[in-house]
Amino acid sequence: MKLALVLAIGGVVLALRLWRHRRRRSRAGGAGAPPRARSAAQPPLGDVGLVAAREVRERVRGRILRIGTLLMLAVVAAAIVIPVLDRGKASVQSVGVVGPLAAQLRADVVATGTKLSTSVRFVPEVSTASADRDLRSGRVDLVIVNARELRVNRAIATGDMSTTALLVRALANDLGVEEAFETAGLTAAQAAHLAGAKPVPVVSLQRAPPSGATTTTSVFGLILVFVMLQQYSTWILVGVMEEKASRVVEVLLATVRPIQLLTGKVLGIGIVAFAQATLIVAFALVLAEAVGSDLLRGTAPLALVSTFVWLLLGYSFYCWVYAAAGSMAERQEQVQSLAFPLVVPALVGYIVSLTVASSGSPTTFFEVLAYLPPTAPFAMPVLVGIGRATWWEFAASVVVSIVCTVAVAHLAARIYRRAILRTGRRVRLREVVSPASS
Amino acid sequence: MSEVASHGQVGRGLLELEGLTRHYGPVTALDGLSFSVPAGEVVGFLGPNGAGKTTTMRAIFGLTDLEAGTVTWRGSPVGQAERRRFGYMPEERGLYPNMLVGEQLEYLGRLHGLSTSDAVAATAVWLERLELADRAKSKVEALSHGNQQRVQLAAALVHDPELLVLDEPLAGLDPTGIDAIGAVLVERARAGCCVLFSSHQLDLVEDLCESVTIIDHGRLVVAGKVDDLATSGPRRLVVRVEGDRQAAWAKGLAGVTVSESDGGAARLVLDESVDSDSVLRAAMAAGRVTEFTFERRRLSEVFREALA
Repeated sequence: MKLALVLAIGGVVLALRLWRHRRRRSRAGGAGAPPRARSAAQPPLGDVGLVAAREVRERVRGRILRIGTLLMLAVVAAAIVIPVLDRGKASVQSVGVVGPLAAQLRADVVATGTKLSTSVRFVPEVSTASADRDLRSGRVDLVIVNARELRVNRAIATGDMSTTALLVRALANDLGVEEAFETAGLTAAQAAHLAGAKPVPVVSLQRAPPSGATTTTSVFGLILVFVMLQQYSTWILVGVMEEKASRVVEVLLATVRPIQLLTGKVLGIGIVAFAQATLIVAFALVLAEAVGSDLLRGTAPLALVSTFVWLLLGYSFYCWVYAAAGSMAERQEQVQSLAFPLVVPALVGYIVSLTVASSGSPTTFFEVLAYLPPTAPFAMPVLVGIGRATWWEFAASVVVSIVCTVAVAHLAARIYRRAILRTGRRVRLREVVSPASS
Repeated sequence: MSEVASHGQVGRGLLELEGLTRHYGPVTALDGLSFSVPAGEVVGFLGPNGAGKTTTMRAIFGLTDLEAGTVTWRGSPVGQAERRRFGYMPEERGLYPNMLVGEQLEYLGRLHGLSTSDAVAATAVWLERLELADRAKSKVEALSHGNQQRVQLAAALVHDPELLVLDEPLAGLDPTGIDAIGAVLVERARAGCCVLFSSHQLDLVEDLCESVTIIDHGRLVVAGKVDDLATSGPRRLVVRVEGDRQAAWAKGLAGVTVSESDGGAARLVLDESVDSDSVLRAAMAAGRVTEFTFERRRLSEVFREALA
């Protein structure tokens, strides 16, 4: 959360600077002799800051960001609110009753329904025939005949987990036990004693699987990380390619160094990206709190913080890779063929992580993925969410990611420097990575 | 090679290129190229296609890796700080198509070291100067080719550079555009700026430039003042004698070669030893002289002779 706070403050500071620049611009006087560039006050990050500020300004101004953000907010809102609304709708099971049903048994049926998060409405039936008609018409969900038989419209399949199926199974068992008690001639007290039996405690060597809330948060975080990383990486890829295609890069590199231009672009898009991510996560948290969603229950907040950290690390890693790829292309179709192999590791990490977030059972392969920089942004937050990562494992993965990011950035800067001014055709990787090429 | 430009080193700065060498695979782009650009002059940078002009210009801005050679400004190697004071217009025009014209120029001004307020002021000045003031809020892609070219020139000028390097700045422009950009180049040179520009429009170069540098196959062929080059070599005379259409009177003169005689005008090439007065006297003896003019060599002739 601290990280989110720092990023949010950074975004605000940058916005204020842009606002001040605009004010100064509007105050600037009319035409005179053209000023000369001599030791003018440079922004804090120098040329990198100027490049980053332009990226921020152009992205914020573009419709893609605004529409994309609104769409994501809508999806997040739907993901949070719809389950809450569904939860609020109390389902009702209509139970037809043929013949007598003792008050105690009625109470038992209601209690069983409550356990299954449903309420029970009893419908008196005059005969089995009328009850069957009501079953066929759907007026009732099941029928209890003389407290000795249950009737349903369709047979209950083994894997059927609908509320009706669960209620039928539970009632069939309860009524069977009641009948057994009667047959055994137990007194009411003995029967009540047996009915109140509690299961013995079960001691497990492994921790319990994640709660539904944590699973929801992990899946939510995963989708957020995947969608955002793909979006931001594409921005970088296309942004670098467009600078090359429009040849403006030659004008820019006549005054700034390639590494400054590249870093400024990565930083600028990164600032916009994390402002957007912060907005979406803050919106999700506030909305979840307001509607009483499960999003923040249990270990879910930890999973969310972990997701945010890995969004930052994932962007830091992928942005360099995509920038290098963008510098090798100058047409849209070249971009697509370059992007495909870069998407594959992210897609593998995303799909495997989604599976593990749902099952709560990570394999050794998955744990390895949590230490590989291309897949760690998806795998490690899931491990955190399901309580299968210690703090030092988390830290180790972060360190591995940072070290690899530095190495990748170094290589990407080299590729960028060599490829960005080569125009006319797509640059091959071996042309720009071999030590002899220049 | 007649003369390497070493004159006119007044005002600010001087660009020196020494032994520039660059190959692209088997192709030699620069082959030990050396020349200098004096301050306060418009220097035409000429050569046939593939001569190495663009590579040379890119080398000045560090945009191509040299295998050998140095580029110095005021005697010091050119680095990022120096390039900040240079203006560049590449052969393939480069601007952000979706960015507003005014903001684009301000951004480039800032990258060249101007403060925000100075960049805003300079942008206004140059848009006004290049008759683009009403297009400041337009996207570059919405402008005509000629106006995009003007914006590109403004991008090179917005920070009032000490050295202006322009690769084919006049290509594709109509006469009005050529006049506007040409006037700006001359004005900047008068203000003390070094201006180096390449072009294949030799008549325009002759009109705009004080000096030219001609290269071929990555090597310097000719460099010097346009006036000096035009008057260098054997003296050439155009003489028109009434009633004499074949210039028969000149054919017998010692040290005089008739290069052309057409429609009554004879073009003569004089050896150094020949006194032009004696030629005039011979012409007058042949009939009434209606024209007697020393002819300057056109730059196109200098160019062709240099590359022959």
